[in-house]
Amino acid sequence: MEKKFGVYFCKGCGIGESVSFEKLKPRVSGKGKVPVDCIKEHPVLCSPEGLEFIKNDIKEGTNTIIIGACSPRVKYAEFDFPGTLTERVNLREFVAWTAEPMSADAQSLADDYMVMGILKAQKGGMPEPNILPDLSKTILVIGGGMSGLTSAIETANAGYQVVLVEKEAELGGWGAKLYKETPRQYPFDKLEEPGIFARIKEVESHPNIKVFKSSVLEKTDGQPGLLDITIKTNGNSESMRVGAVIMAAGWKPYDASKLEYLGYGKPNVITNVQMEEMAKKGQIIRPSDGKEAKKVAFIQCAGSRDANHLPYCSSFCCATSLKQAKYVREKNGEALAMVFYKDIRTPGQTELFYKSMQNDPGIMLTKAEVTGISDAGNGNLFVEADNTLLGEKIKVEADLVVLATGIVPATRAPQEYLDGLTEAQKKGDVAKNSYLEATPKPDFILNLTYRQGPELPSLEGASGFADSNFICFQYETRRTGIYAAGCVRQPMTMADAADDAAGAAMKAIQCVEHVAKGIAVHPRAWDTTFPDPMMIKCTSCKRCTEECPFGAIDEDEKGTPFYRLNRCRRCGTCMGACPERIVSFKDFSVDIVGSMIKSIEVDEDEFRIIVLACENDAYPALDSAAIKRIKINPKVRIIPVRCLGSTNLVWVTDAFSKGIDGLVLLGCKYGENYQCHFVKGSELANYRFSKVKETLDKLQLESDRCQLLQISISEYDNLPKLINDFVERVEEIGPNPFKEF
Amino acid sequence: MAEQVIKPDLNFINEVINGGGESMKKCFQCATCTVVCNVTPDDNPFPRKEMVWAQWGLKEKFIGNPDVWLCHQCNDCTAYCPRGAKPGEVLGAIRKQSIKQYSAPAALVNFVNSKAYIPIMFLLLAGLLSMAGTFKIHDGDIVFTKFASTQFLQIVFTPVLLFGIAVGVLGVKKFWADMKAATGVTSGDLKGSITETAKEILSHKKFTMCDVNADRFIAHFLVFYSFIALGIATALGVLYIDILHMESPFRLGYGTPVKLFGFIGAAGLFTGALLMINNRFKHSAKLGLGSYFDWLLITIVTVIMASGILAWITRLAGVAPVAYSIYFIHLVFVLSLFLYLPFSKLGHLFYRSAAICFMKYSGREKK
Repeated sequence: MEKKFGVYFCKGCGIGESVSFEKLKPRVSGKGKVPVDCIKEHPVLCSPEGLEFIKNDIKEGTNTIIIGACSPRVKYAEFDFPGTLTERVNLREFVAWTAEPMSADAQSLADDYMVMGILKAQKGGMPEPNILPDLSKTILVIGGGMSGLTSAIETANAGYQVVLVEKEAELGGWGAKLYKETPRQYPFDKLEEPGIFARIKEVESHPNIKVFKSSVLEKTDGQPGLLDITIKTNGNSESMRVGAVIMAAGWKPYDASKLEYLGYGKPNVITNVQMEEMAKKGQIIRPSDGKEAKKVAFIQCAGSRDANHLPYCSSFCCATSLKQAKYVREKNGEALAMVFYKDIRTPGQTELFYKSMQNDPGIMLTKAEVTGISDAGNGNLFVEADNTLLGEKIKVEADLVVLATGIVPATRAPQEYLDGLTEAQKKGDVAKNSYLEATPKPDFILNLTYRQGPELPSLEGASGFADSNFICFQYETRRTGIYAAGCVRQPMTMADAADDAAGAAMKAIQCVEHVAKGIAVHPRAWDTTFPDPMMIKCTSCKRCTEECPFGAIDEDEKGTPFYRLNRCRRCGTCMGACPERIVSFKDFSVDIVGSMIKSIEVDEDEFRIIVLACENDAYPALDSAAIKRIKINPKVRIIPVRCLGSTNLVWVTDAFSKGIDGLVLLGCKYGENYQCHFVKGSELANYRFSKVKETLDKLQLESDRCQLLQISISEYDNLPKLINDFVERVEEIGPNPFKEF
Repeated sequence: MAEQVIKPDLNFINEVINGGGESMKKCFQCATCTVVCNVTPDDNPFPRKEMVWAQWGLKEKFIGNPDVWLCHQCNDCTAYCPRGAKPGEVLGAIRKQSIKQYSAPAALVNFVNSKAYIPIMFLLLAGLLSMAGTFKIHDGDIVFTKFASTQFLQIVFTPVLLFGIAVGVLGVKKFWADMKAATGVTSGDLKGSITETAKEILSHKKFTMCDVNADRFIAHFLVFYSFIALGIATALGVLYIDILHMESPFRLGYGTPVKLFGFIGAAGLFTGALLMINNRFKHSAKLGLGSYFDWLLITIVTVIMASGILAWITRLAGVAPVAYSIYFIHLVFVLSLFLYLPFSKLGHLFYRSAAICFMKYSGREKK
């Protein structure tokens, strides 16, 4: 495509009062190498007249458009010109609203930003979607419990084919084992018949759903839209292609044999699961002598919220114990149910259920630290507790004790096994082999053939729950096209699991639809570009395969990396990682950003600082600060990047050799409560830039000139100060000695 | 603190709930009640702890517990309770259980507080008057002694009153011993404590501390002093008739001390009772309308005064059937009040006085 440029300068929203178009025009033309007559101004570009103004030029053949107006995060519907390469330059937020109007600084900022925009458009190409052939839109659901059934129904009702794989012989999961359910409707005071059976019926009779019972997933190969799976049912294998996966593999109760300190092992100490089974059989009796239990103690958080057992709250046990207390009371109006809790946690509307149960004269509640369960003779037990609401250490007799045990996600065992294997592998082949021999292999769920491992990667601090971007995109795992739903992701009640399942179904549908259009699945859900490596120059160093947060890059038999494109989220982490700098996107490459950096005017007696800002959180935070008109030091030039993970070290060299005095990498928070849209981007950047010291030393520069700042989007009000403080520090260090060259 | 074996008692819980504490299970132990209460001592304050004891049915905790009686039911706690657990009302219901605990025979507590009680009192008194042969509308001038002679009143009413007082005094004795046992306090300045208690009661000091329901002070003050005035009037009657063997002072002119005390007492008591009723309705949105146990005392006092005043007016008007009927109602309710003394809410005369006294005796107030 031969590029015919159109550069447009908007004078609305205060830009015209801040920057002189007359001064801007010759410089942009000279440095940007575009003819003067294609640089135009308009009082309000986003008005119908303004848009018409641009569209007339498009009719005349203009196909590469640079718009110097507001932030690209606004007015994107207005400035959408299909078939053209459009580049937005943020003159409003980054110049007009944050710099002194009509100052030399403002003018210089506008010049630099416009030139950078033109360069980007010059170096970039028209993105064309890459649609892979033979795609499937079928959704695989793993697990036939509340979450799995609901996902299957939601997806099938939306018109998609569904394959449901259930490990057990019957559908229903834990929901089918309940005697009664906690109330689902106002006023939330009556126990209800389990609602799961209606869902089972709906799934089994749905024309779009194919159910595999007593089945497991033997193999999952390929990428979204092209996932080739093998289902094993009683020794027989069946292969098929699906587009995306909803993983609703559920949970197991925590192993109560580890709860000896709470009396487990004594005949009349049972778990909430056993209580449910007993109630379903129709009687609440003591296992020791079969007599009716009349004084039942419920111990909450049995092995939960406890550093020695499960560190988390399992979310449903409080409501379950209150429900089981109601069983006791409904069977016998004279019976007592005593609940000893750490905190009653009844999320959502379950709070109303708690209130109504609390109102039952025979249900007693106290906060307590249960210190032990001892024998009181006759098979009875003393519950001993400290720090109770009753104000002292108490001891109360019960004839049955129920331990409210929490949940362990199905993902935990495979994760622990694989993490152990990785550790052993690091120690060498001997250690690895002895690990494999000594450790029983747990049931795997996905059996992926991915280079980064057969299951979802474990997430730091997640205690074995399925990997998910908890804060921003909870259903999304680091394996594109595989969405976790229900208790495998986070402990939750059945009502929450149903909502969760619907959410995961939406994501799975989004995945197959985007893949069919050749655009990124999420979070860059508009992006038709894709990584296009120049494989001739690849050295098979495998840094990209290791660092890709999404395991999108596999290796062939010779060890050469190749992309599984539909797994890719277009974050550019591979581009940042590649020492040969061979990875490029149509509108984003090492060369494009490098050229932008090098285009910045550097005067000998002026400081220049570059901020490489993450597009996801840092950039909108900068926009927000501009809306508040918080001034940013005009020595700063902001360049957006897809993710800090895409920052290539060569840009540091580019900047400092050019004479730039300081460089800020502005990205998301990382660590346990990370907010990075691409999970590992800012963390990887931090790792790479810890090595930047060497580079700077080589250049004989102070390493303080380069800094990584983590911010969350809500911290916009403090952000300009952070940047301004950095500028001051650089000024204290003094100008970049390379300026002279 | 030492480990204590607790024994939840579902019966006790149900009794408190049925006795006006139906909101008690709602308490979630935030302790707002204890914080807003102006009457509680700072040391081991109420009513939070009483709420959780009640929820768990820990009946034995209330034996010898002075705190439920230190509560004056201002209901500041109830007004501020975020959960609508109405601690003030619950403590009222627990007090009923406390009265039951210390009254002999305890069965009478349930009896006087049951809805069948008033009709039975009507029948009982009608039976007694029939036996005396005076249960009818008398001809001629309306003279109430024709209907119920002074002698009859003395034979029937005096023993009932004395019985009530005796039950109350015995109850207090037991209560006092239990309070000592429960707190471990064995000695103190009893005489000084009694004087201080009397001062506190006469001044209505605690009532002035109520916030939300501050107007209870004037109502209770009126009722309290009116009862004293009526007591003096009655005592003068006894003095004139039984000791000095003079003519009944009630037939003398209106300017005599007996009449004066009677009128002041009647007017004050009637006004006080109406104010109490008014307060109940005024605060009902937050506090609720109260229990049967609660209303009975107010009702009886109001009926006694209304019937007394109506009997007087109808007598002067000379409408014999109405005057005698109303007088009969008046007698029934006065008799009720006497029998009611230790078994009903009126039992607070004994137990609250004892609890206040014990607090001073044990020195807890000063802590």
